Amino acid sequence: MRRRIYLLISLCIALTAVSCEEIIEVNLNEGDPKYVIEADLTSLTSDQFIRVTQTVPFNADIPSKPIENALVAVSDSRGQVFNFVSQGQGYYTVQNLKLQENITYNLSVNIDNELFEATSKLEDFVAIDSLGVIEERVFNDPYYFVLFKFNDPIDTPNYYRYSTSVNGGPFRFSSAFSDKFNDGLFVTHQIANSDNSLAIGDSVVVRRQCISKEVYDYWNEIQFANPGNASPSNPKSNISNGAFGYFSVTAVKEYGIRIEML
Amino acid sequence: MPYFLVILTSLFFSVSLIAQDKTTISGYVRDAASGEALIGAVVQIKGTQNATSTNSYGYYALQISEPNTELIVSFVGYQFLEQTILISENKRYNFELVSLDNQLEEVVVSAKKQNDNVTNAQMGAFNFTMEEVKNIPVVFGERDILKTIQLLPGIGKGGEGSSNFYVRGGGADQNLILLDEATVYNAAHLLGFFSTFNSDAIKDVELYKGGIPAQYGGRISSVMDINMVDGNNKKFAAEGGLGLIASRLKLEGPIVKDKGSFMVSGRRTYADLFLKLSDDETINQSKLYFYDLNAKINYRFNDKNTLYASGYFGKDDLGYGDLFSFDWGNATATVRWNHVFNEKLFSNTSLIYSDFTYNVNVSNDESDFTIASKIENFNLKEDLSYYADNKNTLRFGLNLLRQKISPASLNARGESAVNSIDIESRSGIEAAAYISHEWRPSSWISMIYGLRATDFMVQGPGTFYDYDDEGDPIGEQLFDDGIIKHYFNLEPRLSLSVILSQEHSVKASYNRIVQNLHQLTNTTSSLPTDQYVVSSVNIKPQYADQAALGYFRNFNNNAYEFSVEAYYKYMGNQIDFRNGADLQANKYLEGELLYGVGRSYGLEWHLRKSKGKLNGWISYTLAKSERQFEQINDGEWFNARQDRTHDISVVGMYELSKKWSLGATFVYYTGNAITFPSGKYQVDGRTLFYYTERNGYRMPDYHRLDLSATYEPRKENKRLHSSWSFGLYNVYNRRNAYIIDFRENEQNVNVTEAYKIALFGIIPSVTWNFKF
Repeated sequence: MRRRIYLLISLCIALTAVSCEEIIEVNLNEGDPKYVIEADLTSLTSDQFIRVTQTVPFNADIPSKPIENALVAVSDSRGQVFNFVSQGQGYYTVQNLKLQENITYNLSVNIDNELFEATSKLEDFVAIDSLGVIEERVFNDPYYFVLFKFNDPIDTPNYYRYSTSVNGGPFRFSSAFSDKFNDGLFVTHQIANSDNSLAIGDSVVVRRQCISKEVYDYWNEIQFANPGNASPSNPKSNISNGAFGYFSVTAVKEYGIRIEML
Repeated sequence: MPYFLVILTSLFFSVSLIAQDKTTISGYVRDAASGEALIGAVVQIKGTQNATSTNSYGYYALQISEPNTELIVSFVGYQFLEQTILISENKRYNFELVSLDNQLEEVVVSAKKQNDNVTNAQMGAFNFTMEEVKNIPVVFGERDILKTIQLLPGIGKGGEGSSNFYVRGGGADQNLILLDEATVYNAAHLLGFFSTFNSDAIKDVELYKGGIPAQYGGRISSVMDINMVDGNNKKFAAEGGLGLIASRLKLEGPIVKDKGSFMVSGRRTYADLFLKLSDDETINQSKLYFYDLNAKINYRFNDKNTLYASGYFGKDDLGYGDLFSFDWGNATATVRWNHVFNEKLFSNTSLIYSDFTYNVNVSNDESDFTIASKIENFNLKEDLSYYADNKNTLRFGLNLLRQKISPASLNARGESAVNSIDIESRSGIEAAAYISHEWRPSSWISMIYGLRATDFMVQGPGTFYDYDDEGDPIGEQLFDDGIIKHYFNLEPRLSLSVILSQEHSVKASYNRIVQNLHQLTNTTSSLPTDQYVVSSVNIKPQYADQAALGYFRNFNNNAYEFSVEAYYKYMGNQIDFRNGADLQANKYLEGELLYGVGRSYGLEWHLRKSKGKLNGWISYTLAKSERQFEQINDGEWFNARQDRTHDISVVGMYELSKKWSLGATFVYYTGNAITFPSGKYQVDGRTLFYYTERNGYRMPDYHRLDLSATYEPRKENKRLHSSWSFGLYNVYNRRNAYIIDFRENEQNVNVTEAYKIALFGIIPSVTWNFKF
């Protein structure tokens, strides 16, 4: 909804004015570095990884600074502990963590005696009814979307996250949805890749995750960040002690489809 | 506070006892050609400082003591009138002034008591007639009073092309905008590029940024009181214009000659006509336009009773094929009855309605729903003015205002993939009483002081939630129909002038104002979908305490007016949001709000020349505006977005010849305070920005020069009168930043870059205006 209004407004600005864009130099301060923890544990395999990095100045020529000396562990509500092993570049892995339904998982990351913790529970996966592709024309330009149709479980809040891999590329976040406006209905989610550039002939793998409210809030803030926001802020993390990033344990399925002439 | 009330009441009685043996005359001052009431015309006893000015209905009352008193009646842009009054049974004198425009030969200019700005107790106020500002250049050639007032000191500009304004560091929602006394909730068309005020329909604007008189209340930063044209009661007349963006037409004329008149004025844009040229079916069925309709009638039953009815209706309509549409607009209606009890006691009773609505319609294969939102109010006002004598005027009245907010509710139709959502409406009643005394105890001092008392009543029925510190709901309370909570407030007001001589004075003012309607905006340009809330169990009324001190000086026989004002304003119960707040269709909306305080202070210089072929003004504001919230910026003070260190406007109008007049404006201001990233990091392979300090950065400085020229051929054809207006917006094509944003470089994602979007480059415009 909000996105549609912004689309319309940008259209309106484009029509009323000859706007122009140019690259500029802005003198930005350096904030105190913050740790960033990406922990997206999924039910796909028992091989899991967690990434620990640190923020860098805006003008740095690296996207973030890997942290190599963290102690990363995940424990579950049955008392099992999984210690992750550093693989370099900020990646930490474990081979034997198979996620179980209705089990609560705790993340603990220790960096130079600073402790960051988070808790997450595996949400039930909501099965889909059908998969498809749709073409939409906006001002005569075609845009392609993968369609997911499914019955949203009634009377429980549900949150969904999609990421896509196009032609064998890495998975990237596409969009996140909540059932705030369509709880319990037969719902259609329209998924594109991160920059909305699916084309005829692309082969796409879409990863569908059922996520917790905290993780949804995190991704929802990211997807609705726009230059018209009066006071942009750091998305709210579910990890303690001021770390950025998120801790998510989810049931996942992947769906492959080819964008073809309809 | 009771002490204050005692003084006030004792003054009231002493005032009524003074000088009963003098005679008070009263009446109306009007335009000789159209019968239009003149607001703020001065009626003066010749050779003395005894003077009064007409109120917003053109009414005056003046006490005279000698038989054969000579009066001078004057108004800016009009030839003054000298008349000798014989005190007799007749105490009613109506005056008609002739506009300088309607004279065949250039005669003496008006002899208005032009040091009014020095001697008047009121400070922090501006008054304009539309006539005075007609040659100021504007974007797209659309004359716009909201753009004009942004050129005054202390009035912060809303940004490129915006009709938003910020008064003395306050928010855009803290300005009370009244059109014939009706509240206009959203004064912007097309995202703010145009205001809802069609200049043809507007007679006069009064703006208060400090020392706000007690008859106004409800918004803490300013009051903008706009009066519509009454309509010509002598003859039928039409006026209009064809412009690049919009066309206008106004019709006016007598209902009964000299007794009643009507005025209808309309404006519509036609940018959407170009969409019709497209081959694409979705595009040529798209909508993009707005229109305004103003109408007013008045009828004078006799010298004691006049009835006015006026209204406004405007709408913006955007649509993409039949898939999506979005419309919004204001409507206002005002019925007023002026009654003169006797020469000294003037009464106006108003019954007012206004609303603002927006509707979104989505209809595609998946979803079929509408979203509708409405805010409306009914307002009953009784205002009385008692002209005790030439030194004392009392204004007092009552006001009962009911506001109701029906937040966006979603209505799904048929087999839609969305559920209907109904959010409870909220309403509140504000009862107010005020008294204000304008007092000129001697020739060197004058003052206006008063008190406004308000009781805001939060109305049920409704479910109100309690929230913890994190904003999560922890309990709920159900209320039946009735009053749930009272917020009682006393608002003292004072404005005082010490007249050092007829050329200079020192003024001081103080006001407290309370606001019970709050607009929730989290975007840089305010959108029609911005949610309103009234004070509730959780949301406390906003208030402002403002003190100001100023020096006013006229030079060169009042040809130049100079003033400098310093102010300090403290704002309580200000509202902001938690990070990632969900403001749409959220029944726990109040849990997303944060409460804090604000302060602003500044110095304003203003130099104005209003006589001669060259006139205009220079204004400069040096100011600071800050906010403090416990949960934002670690509880440290941070700059308000509209904090502008420097703000300069230069306005010049020059009468080149009988046919040509030129206008120019130059503006410069410090860029808005804004939040930029202080670092970056990567999540899921995408670069995210790391923000530290709220509004810790600045947009680049903004500056722009606009020019205009008006060509008015001499009236060969006596009936038709036409003119051409040419405009050039942003003459040196400055690319002022509208938005600055950050992104990954397309070639190398490891590199991040900043880019700016500029909106308007140089824009020429031409408008043809006619009148007959």
